[in-house]
Amino acid sequence: MELKELFDHSNVSLDLKAGSKDEVLLELIDLLKLETKAKEMLFKMLKKRENLGSTGIGKSFAIPHCRSLVVDKLNVGFGRHKQGLDFNSIDGKPAHFFFLIVAPPIEISNYYLPVLGKVAQFCKTQDIGSKLQKLERVEEFLELLNKA
Amino acid sequence: MFLQDLLCLKKEIQDFQVVEKYEEMGFPLDKKEQIEETIKEVTAQLDPVLYRRFLRIAEKYDRPLAPVKNGVCYGCFVSAPTGSKLITQAKDVIEFCNHCGRILYKIN
Repeated sequence: MELKELFDHSNVSLDLKAGSKDEVLLELIDLLKLETKAKEMLFKMLKKRENLGSTGIGKSFAIPHCRSLVVDKLNVGFGRHKQGLDFNSIDGKPAHFFFLIVAPPIEISNYYLPVLGKVAQFCKTQDIGSKLQKLERVEEFLELLNKA
Repeated sequence: MFLQDLLCLKKEIQDFQVVEKYEEMGFPLDKKEQIEETIKEVTAQLDPVLYRRFLRIAEKYDRPLAPVKNGVCYGCFVSAPTGSKLITQAKDVIEFCNHCGRILYKIN
């Protein structure tokens, strides 16, 4: 599965407004269009996952991810925080770009780890941070994924 | 559901190959022992009767919870009875599959 197939206007936000790690997780969860209860549970699960080791992989990227029963298929979201915020990233620097990945505990297609790997790879692309920072429209983000 | 998610995460991080993959991708799991503590916290908040039943089901099946879709338990793939509250859209009701005994939940 290609990354471009997973993203569209509904799950991309180029203007995250969060002021903390928790708020950014909530804003990302909002992109997934879940019920309130499901959102709460997913938030708790993502927080617990973060406690085991931060998903801030450095170079301005964070990829919060987990498996949860609240979804029945792989769900993803992307958010950009222009100013950046502290996400306990491994390089100690603020994170600006957030990919959220959530999958059910058992998926027949088993896309979770491969997609996580592809996103991590995408984040390591040269100059990708500056390109993402310059984006003005969601279409441009989708084009970037197309080229990746 | 949260407990099962945590147990699933625990199983995942106990799998050496999965942890290796995570680390290759750049996700260090340096505090993975904290999962036990979290599971203890969550189980302490559960209704003891329900938790005992959860454990009994967990002895039998890997996933004690199963989703219901179109009236079918996705644990054993047998139709739930038509009177099932999950089918009638009732919320906050804990139901068990009549066939396999798994705790049922509905996904929207």
